Amino acid sequence: MASDVDSTPLVGRADLVATARAALLDDVAPGSTAAVFLTGESGVGKTRLLRELGQRLGDAGALVLTGSCLDIGDASPLHPLRQALRRLDVDLPPAAAASVRALLAMFAEDAAGPDGAGALLERVARGLSVIAGGRPVVLVLDDLQWVDRTTRQLLLYLLAGLGDLQLSVLAAVRSESLQGAHPLRRVLTELRRLRSVQVLDLAPLDRAAAEQLAAAVVGRPLPPEAVEQLCQRSGGNPFVVEELARDLRDGRDGLSDTLREVFLARVDALPQPAHRVVHAVAAGVEPVEHWLLAQVVALPEQDLLDAIRATVAHRLVVSSHDGYRLRHRLVAEVLEDELLPAERALLHRRYAEALTAAPGELHQARLAHHWRLAGEPQRALPAAVAAAQEAERLYGYAEAHRHWSVAVELAEGLPDAERATLLRHAAEAAHHCGEYARALALLEKLAAIDVDQTACELHIRRARYLAAAGRSALAEAEYQRALDAADCSPRQRATAAAHLAELLLQLGRYADAGQWAKEALSLAEQAEGATTEVVLASMALGFSEAYRQDPDAGLAVLRRALTTAERAGRPEDVALAYLHLAELLTGPLNRMEEGVVVARRGAERVAELGLGRSYETRLLAIATNGLFRVGQWAEAEKVVAAALRHRPSGTDAVELLLARCRLSVGYGDIEAADRDLDAVATMLAGGGARHVIPLLTLRAGLAMWQGRHDVARHAVQRGLTETRSDDLVIVAVLVWHGLRAEAEAKANRTSVDDNAVRRLRQIVDRVAEKSVRAAQPVRDVVDGYLALCAAEVSRLDVTDPDLWARAAAAWDHRNHPYPAAYSRLRQAEALLARRRRTATAGKLLRQAYQTTQGLGAVPLTDEIRTLAGRARVTLEETGPLGAREPAGVGGEELAALTAREREVLAAVAEGLTNREIGQRLYISERTIGVHVSHIFDKLQVRTRVQASAIFLRSRT
Amino acid sequence: MSERVWGPIHGDIVDLLADHPTDVPAVVDHLTKLQDMLVRLPPLLDSCPLADFNKLYLTITTSVLDGLYADRFVDPAFLSRLDVEFAARYFDALRLWTDSSPGTPKAWSCLFERMRGPDARPLPSAAAGVNAHINFDLPFALVTTFAHLESEPVDGSDQHRDYLEINKIFADKIPGLRRGYLERWQLLIDMLNGEIDDWYQGELIGYTRDVAWRNAQRVWRCRHDPLQHERERKRLDETAAALGRLLLSPLGAFLQ
Repeated sequence: MASDVDSTPLVGRADLVATARAALLDDVAPGSTAAVFLTGESGVGKTRLLRELGQRLGDAGALVLTGSCLDIGDASPLHPLRQALRRLDVDLPPAAAASVRALLAMFAEDAAGPDGAGALLERVARGLSVIAGGRPVVLVLDDLQWVDRTTRQLLLYLLAGLGDLQLSVLAAVRSESLQGAHPLRRVLTELRRLRSVQVLDLAPLDRAAAEQLAAAVVGRPLPPEAVEQLCQRSGGNPFVVEELARDLRDGRDGLSDTLREVFLARVDALPQPAHRVVHAVAAGVEPVEHWLLAQVVALPEQDLLDAIRATVAHRLVVSSHDGYRLRHRLVAEVLEDELLPAERALLHRRYAEALTAAPGELHQARLAHHWRLAGEPQRALPAAVAAAQEAERLYGYAEAHRHWSVAVELAEGLPDAERATLLRHAAEAAHHCGEYARALALLEKLAAIDVDQTACELHIRRARYLAAAGRSALAEAEYQRALDAADCSPRQRATAAAHLAELLLQLGRYADAGQWAKEALSLAEQAEGATTEVVLASMALGFSEAYRQDPDAGLAVLRRALTTAERAGRPEDVALAYLHLAELLTGPLNRMEEGVVVARRGAERVAELGLGRSYETRLLAIATNGLFRVGQWAEAEKVVAAALRHRPSGTDAVELLLARCRLSVGYGDIEAADRDLDAVATMLAGGGARHVIPLLTLRAGLAMWQGRHDVARHAVQRGLTETRSDDLVIVAVLVWHGLRAEAEAKANRTSVDDNAVRRLRQIVDRVAEKSVRAAQPVRDVVDGYLALCAAEVSRLDVTDPDLWARAAAAWDHRNHPYPAAYSRLRQAEALLARRRRTATAGKLLRQAYQTTQGLGAVPLTDEIRTLAGRARVTLEETGPLGAREPAGVGGEELAALTAREREVLAAVAEGLTNREIGQRLYISERTIGVHVSHIFDKLQVRTRVQASAIFLRSRT
Repeated sequence: MSERVWGPIHGDIVDLLADHPTDVPAVVDHLTKLQDMLVRLPPLLDSCPLADFNKLYLTITTSVLDGLYADRFVDPAFLSRLDVEFAARYFDALRLWTDSSPGTPKAWSCLFERMRGPDARPLPSAAAGVNAHINFDLPFALVTTFAHLESEPVDGSDQHRDYLEINKIFADKIPGLRRGYLERWQLLIDMLNGEIDDWYQGELIGYTRDVAWRNAQRVWRCRHDPLQHERERKRLDETAAALGRLLLSPLGAFLQ
């Protein structure tokens, strides 16, 4: 019987199997990831194909993990992964088996640690990597349309390569489910654009394949009219073909016209005990284990086995090693009308009782499901609460919210249930999973029944939810009401004022923000232990002062807040204070070097405090971006690598990947940049619209180095349709990229899009107009880009050296060498085109060359070289502008190095790592890193090999 | 087992639909190409009923794109996502129709069927398309867009205002829809009392797009519940299909 299920050949899918196998295993580079999504209507053979492919990939040496998502609301977070781990073979090597147990235990018990959901993903990734033991991992997931949010995020995290795991995902999605508003729709649309992802649609079988399948089932070729009839009735759906063919073989043809009738007839033909079995399986949560079924059906052992055999023989139930399932959803539909409500309730009660009595892991969600349907709210309630708490522990807030909501409903009819507590939890979970309207509605219910809750607390919560929902005006009013409430404690008052200041800052109302921040600070002074409020208010005050022309005052406030936080000692406060300080310095104040130092010192400090994963990563991202701008790219590269070692997730990961990609674009490392762009796109498929614009900007920049102006143009156009006009800086950067793409297209004699140019120029005018009203720090940045825009526009006509000189000056003033060097190159180009002042042009080119060489900006350096070659400018000559002495030959090359740096370089040339050098010279690894980066800067090299080559040459 | 439902342009349509546009400029490009193909579809060629709708939709989407470049909307990220999601559902329906799938929304298939003839008048054809697209597709496009932007369909929000701004574009581009059409449509429904859900009776007095917004809010609330979501989808499909058939019936000619 069981063999009967598998004996049918897989027909008409040979190409698909080959494509999927290649995409998932053979064509995957070591360390890379890949995914294949199979879509198709139910019965088209997705599950069968998953099994077939899983087997082949396993035979080819991959570690295959197989799980299915559940359609009922009782699934706990990460259900398919947990199921897959439980199913894994027992004959794993000891380390791997221990890791499986550790992961399962973590899901069952531990909280994932202080760093939140990201840490959970990271631990799963680490665990999987131990279990895999160097083999590629294939995650096979069936019924992905029912995937929970935590699993979805895990998939995107792993597919983005953040888990450092060679992983392929093979998942089946029922295409009917994707209609409407299914969250996977969007995810698949985004992912299918990536090279590593394929979405394969399983079409119904064609006539020949249907005929072949039917013949295989019947055991002989069918007459043409029978084939014709079969094709018409089945529409080529292999499941239907198989079942109809089976009836044909067994001489039941003519009785059943539809699949529904096929199943109805089979149910009718069942002996009585088998009826009970099939109904019990239908009421259970699949797969239904044998022991559980035995308790629910309550038949003598042999009778039970016979009954199960009958259901399998009639192809209504499928048996596998982990339990029983209905053969098809249609079976459930057929059975639905057959039971009385009381009979169904009884089955659920039996399930609930059996599960309660069973020792071992208790499936709270499942228990709540059965008790609820058994019509026993008082017994379902504690299980629902436990399920909600479990989901919260695994950061499955959407599931938690669902369980809390069920609990609230269950409590409706129960007199002594703690409705207020349930409502409070439900509201908070709704807030966490982005159901803001629902959170507010629950809060209203809470306000109506809970007399103990103070008005102030209620206003603050409501304001928090409103602010999160982006409804700022209402949030502002609620904070005001909280502050006016009579029962407001000094601490609550400080909280409300600080959050109000933060809100106003985000709205760009700097004067109001500053006022409330001051108010919050003075309130916090009177309240005991209000350090968090001090830090938040200081941030608001610091930034509002910076935007209102008093940078030093703002800086002083935040420095003071850091001291306060350090004194009070709560790690999160210290971390936030560092974060805000670094953001202020590298942001509106444009004091980059100082900002980088603060960020790096902060990173060390928060690592000591045990907040490495979250805050250290964020601080290092700030440092990376600062270092990039001041032109210390080699150093930035090291910092970003250090930050990524924490395997961050979510927004943190996206920001770091973008920072690294920015460096790769500057270096002209197309492959690395592409990889990071794909990883970011994978992460963004799960949400996070505000990172789309930086992604598109980088894509445009990269495309220009490749001479693909149409790609760059397209990225910019798309960005322009998604950017808010008040994001002045972002728009300015994009517009510059757009104009530059057109100018380069013209320079390369490819076609210029006049329509696009006209539109871009209109936007430039609009930005210029709006920037007049913006705060000074914003205006400064925007002006730099507008200078570039004006110069690019001239390039579309007759390039104007004066405009380029102005752009260079603007970026010199801001101390951003990269755009300054670019402007100098263009200025030189413009001068040479006019055959004027060629000596000046030479100087400019040499200056730009020195900068780009120091940065390692390969594509820009190449452009400078090409232009210099054409104009016969010698780049290595010393310029009279006081530029750095270029490297000579022999020992002179090392003249710029200090004695210590020479020692370090000698060790580098021996091939030692920083750690080994540190051990030899008795200094810390980190300090060696700093020395190495200075050496790179002074020798104008990017790699250890290049540095070693210079050292070795100097000794000959 | 699919026949070539698009006849001589089948290959072109399949190739076009293999691509999934992900931004507004790409949607406009897609609709433009589709328009060129539809007017080559026998037997009706230039008077293909779907081409009547497609042309109108292309005009409207182009206006939306211009609006995005011209800084017309408060939250362009929202509006461009919505535009892409909205179009994706039209292309999905075409894809399902191409595969002869029984899953093709009924709201759409009543219009698609008319491509084989007999000829329908342009305005009712376009109106039937607008009906399927707004009454059936739009609520789901809204829900997906909000879910992706981690936001919610809230009355009076920036997004709601941008959404209503589109009504002006519709009004500009569909003079027939604006005045006479809607009034007559209402009249038609009054005449056919009982043919259509009671629910619709009250709602249609306003503007169909407001109905779509409210339906989006309904779908939003049940988006995590596969069963109820499917029920909503079927309900909207049935209702839109009933209206669509009405518009394409001889009575629909009354609109012109």
